[in-house]
Amino acid sequence: MAWFSLLLNALWAAIPAVGFGMIFNVPRSTLPLCAVGGAVTYGIRDTLLHNHFSIELSTFIAATAIGIIGVFWSRRYVMPRPVYTVPSIIPMIPGTYAYEMMISLVTMNTVGVTDALLSSFIENGLHAVSILFAIAFGLVLPSMYYTKRKQPII
Amino acid sequence: MLKGFPTISKEEQTRITAVVVRVAAMLLEYGAESRLIEQLSSRLGVALGCTSIEISLIPSAIVLTTLIGDSSVTTTRRAHEQPINMSIVHQIVTICIAAEQNPRDIMMVERSLANIHANPYPAWLIVPMIGLSCAAFSHLQGADWPGFWITFLAASVGMIVRRALSSRNYSLLIVFAFTAFVCTLIASLSFYHGLSSTGRVVLSSSVLLLVPGFPYINSMLDAFKGYISMGWGRWTQATLLTLMSSLGIMLAMGFLDIKGW
Repeated sequence: MAWFSLLLNALWAAIPAVGFGMIFNVPRSTLPLCAVGGAVTYGIRDTLLHNHFSIELSTFIAATAIGIIGVFWSRRYVMPRPVYTVPSIIPMIPGTYAYEMMISLVTMNTVGVTDALLSSFIENGLHAVSILFAIAFGLVLPSMYYTKRKQPII
Repeated sequence: MLKGFPTISKEEQTRITAVVVRVAAMLLEYGAESRLIEQLSSRLGVALGCTSIEISLIPSAIVLTTLIGDSSVTTTRRAHEQPINMSIVHQIVTICIAAEQNPRDIMMVERSLANIHANPYPAWLIVPMIGLSCAAFSHLQGADWPGFWITFLAASVGMIVRRALSSRNYSLLIVFAFTAFVCTLIASLSFYHGLSSTGRVVLSSSVLLLVPGFPYINSMLDAFKGYISMGWGRWTQATLLTLMSSLGIMLAMGFLDIKGW
């Protein structure tokens, strides 16, 4: 039943994509596509993770995928690309890693530095930063390809 | 003057410049990426009859020159901090495309610019939706059901606080710090009598409504496309916002250590 739980997780990930679309005040007509984008992105990442890819690589591939999909959607509906791409990558934000990193930093400050705290700080921090960069690189790659052409995307 | 173009007087050129710089400043304020700002304003300027548009961007201001033949008009606008609004950006894109299809119709552009509306989502919709979003995050990270509902409560209250503070025109940094403080206070309910066994996940998911997604992504996009200073500016803004949220979380934790639930 692995595929079923993957599908369910992808559906759960559609909710934050819509919610953050609302924070960014995207036009109402784009909300369904934001939901689809969030589900597709998280689904791709989860499937790759399930197949023992590293979390950074799977995040990168998922972000690249939504970057490419965003180009097609933005042409079709005459919409700036970030309207679709930024809400879609929100479910992949490394919130828990960043949080754990901060907690270990604060604990080190109050109870003193131990090996366990230090390794937790470095591991979580590296994960958070590399996932963030993987997301950004993935989103940038498709638009870097299209900026070679003089014709604007929309 | 260019051949084939009717002459444009200095007054008309000043008027064109005012319209184009207004579009550029709005795009900057509401969170468009730099390449989009530059492309749209030069396309709009050419559609209105300019030979070319030169633009210089820094995170807080715009310098813009319109060139028509030999005559040039330069103007500067300060960009004020506004919440991200993709709806306005989309409306400006639509106006620019309409201007390209009806060239030299400055009246139409001015009229449509005056009609731009912010299109905000109503509070009764956005508050539970954000609560549900953060709760979905906690579920994806493996929280149990009590944890799910505590996250929902914390994030919803956090969103109410965030909207209330934003509408009173506090600085975005203060808003983020205070919202993170409130979210963490409520989320730490999960440690009360062991209400939820996954307290850490609840704490970390309930502040996720403060992720500065647009500044981070925009800074990366800008830096990669050659707008290094804009990239740095937006990166600094996003990092400051994150630091202020962590400050709020730390304050709440220090507070709870003294008082305890």
